[in-house]
Amino acid sequence: MLILSRKPGESIVIDGRIRVKIVRVEGDVVKVGIEAPSDVPVHRQEVYEEIQLSNQKALTRQSSPLPKLTAVAKAKIPDAGPAAGPAKKPSLQKA
Amino acid sequence: MKCAEPIERETETPAALPANQIRLPMGLLGFEQIKDYVLLVNPAEAPFAWLQVEANVSLAFIVIDPFLVLPGYQPNIPQGDVEFIGLKEPNDALLLNIVTVHGPNRATVNLKGPIVINRVTRVGKQVILANASEYSIQHSLPVAETAA
Repeated sequence: MLILSRKPGESIVIDGRIRVKIVRVEGDVVKVGIEAPSDVPVHRQEVYEEIQLSNQKALTRQSSPLPKLTAVAKAKIPDAGPAAGPAKKPSLQKA
Repeated sequence: MKCAEPIERETETPAALPANQIRLPMGLLGFEQIKDYVLLVNPAEAPFAWLQVEANVSLAFIVIDPFLVLPGYQPNIPQGDVEFIGLKEPNDALLLNIVTVHGPNRATVNLKGPIVINRVTRVGKQVILANASEYSIQHSLPVAETAA
């Protein structure tokens, strides 16, 4: 692993397009600013680990009973065909 | 390699997978090697469905349409994922969020990392939303109290 020393206000450039700047150092907390193109996902490592753990916990036997919900609409998940669509949509990031 | 004309007619079209067969080329986080799934939808089990592991039918994830759970859900799908999944417009996307059953009275849904599926090709990916920090990985579902 490459280890560099940086002072607050100094930056590192990766691949000519990702800039990592040390914004502030407060005790044992380092504030890092990241400028990256929108096609480069930037997340805290914990998010990946959280989702991995969550998936592992969610894997189930198909015979498991489903929970009974009180307040959620009972609409069925549409088949994965092109015609059916939910009422709400995600937003897609554009280049 | 490019061919002037298709050699085998059966494989000519990169056609959509058969109905409700889902391919996740990157697997799920923590299950990167499992790429092929079948989406089992039984109206009697609504709003849940099963994302069954094709190679091992006894294994499955319970999934739910997140917009039923949280009508104000505004998932923002990062551009790299939009391209990977081949989404041309929001209508192309089917979102399934994984449910964890913790016990008879508690179930949660992961709203940070939906499985986003291209309805046309049935290829998808588990995406970490660009606005993941706005959502919980353990969003509680309103589970009815059951007698112990």
